[in-house]
Amino acid sequence: MKRIVEAEKGSERALQEAEREIAQTKKDLPNRIAGMRDKILKEATSQRERELVEAERAGAAEAEHIAMEAKKQVEGLSKTPEARRKQAVEKAIQLILS
Amino acid sequence: MEEGLLSSGLEKLIEDIIKESTAKAQEVRKQGLAGVEESIQRAKDEATREADQIARGTRTEASAVRNRLVSREKQRARLAYLAEKNRIVNEILDDVKARFRDFTQDKSSYRSYLVKTIARGLEGIPSENVRVALSKRDMERFKEARLLEDALAIARIKKELRFDSQPITTAGGVMLMSEDGKIRTDCTFEAKLRLLQPQLLAEISKTLFA
Repeated sequence: MKRIVEAEKGSERALQEAEREIAQTKKDLPNRIAGMRDKILKEATSQRERELVEAERAGAAEAEHIAMEAKKQVEGLSKTPEARRKQAVEKAIQLILS
Repeated sequence: MEEGLLSSGLEKLIEDIIKESTAKAQEVRKQGLAGVEESIQRAKDEATREADQIARGTRTEASAVRNRLVSREKQRARLAYLAEKNRIVNEILDDVKARFRDFTQDKSSYRSYLVKTIARGLEGIPSENVRVALSKRDMERFKEARLLEDALAIARIKKELRFDSQPITTAGGVMLMSEDGKIRTDCTFEAKLRLLQPQLLAEISKTLFA
């Protein structure tokens, strides 16, 4: 009879132990969730920063290319042949004197 | 014998109690952990959704960053190009002014131009008496040169012309006025330049940059 009582008590202890474990796990749950959420969002934020830096770099490179092309075009304008300039002056004079 | 049977029944009972309690504890753990796992999964899904939202926003923001830099440079390039075009066109206009000044030095050609300009300008003055104003320099050069007579002859209009006593400030050309000064036809170089500016700019640009 004594052994049966002990077995019952042991059984009760095992159940309580399991409940304690689960209670402790549930107690730790908010921190666990917060940590996991923090990790996911931190990764997303880091990715965001990397992408923005990359966009800035790509934009700057493209802008530099545009600036170089524009410089060439402006230089091209400055090299307008003298003959064409004279022609423009002549046409303007003709318009004014006509 | 009976005692042996009793003992083995007792052992079986104790074994059953332990088995049952182990199964119960396992069930408690299983259910408890299932709830925990479900909460974790829910939180994970929510965080992942937020992360996706950040990623979508990032793509838009990154595209805006890149476009902003590119648009700014394109705008700057356009302005630099237009400024250079403008500078060159203004140089040409300066050359035109210089050419016109040279033209006024050639007395014969310039006189002919003035005669034609006066004749054409007379059409814009309906009054009988017309005053013709020249620059001080032109007045000195052409006062005695039958300028007005020749203009009248070309215009084939019966009017009375006389030089105005007040010289005008101009690089060349004339200003015609009715006797009372209320009606004026400005045929100076500067007026023509102003009047023709849109056409001149278009013609110069076409010749230089087309």
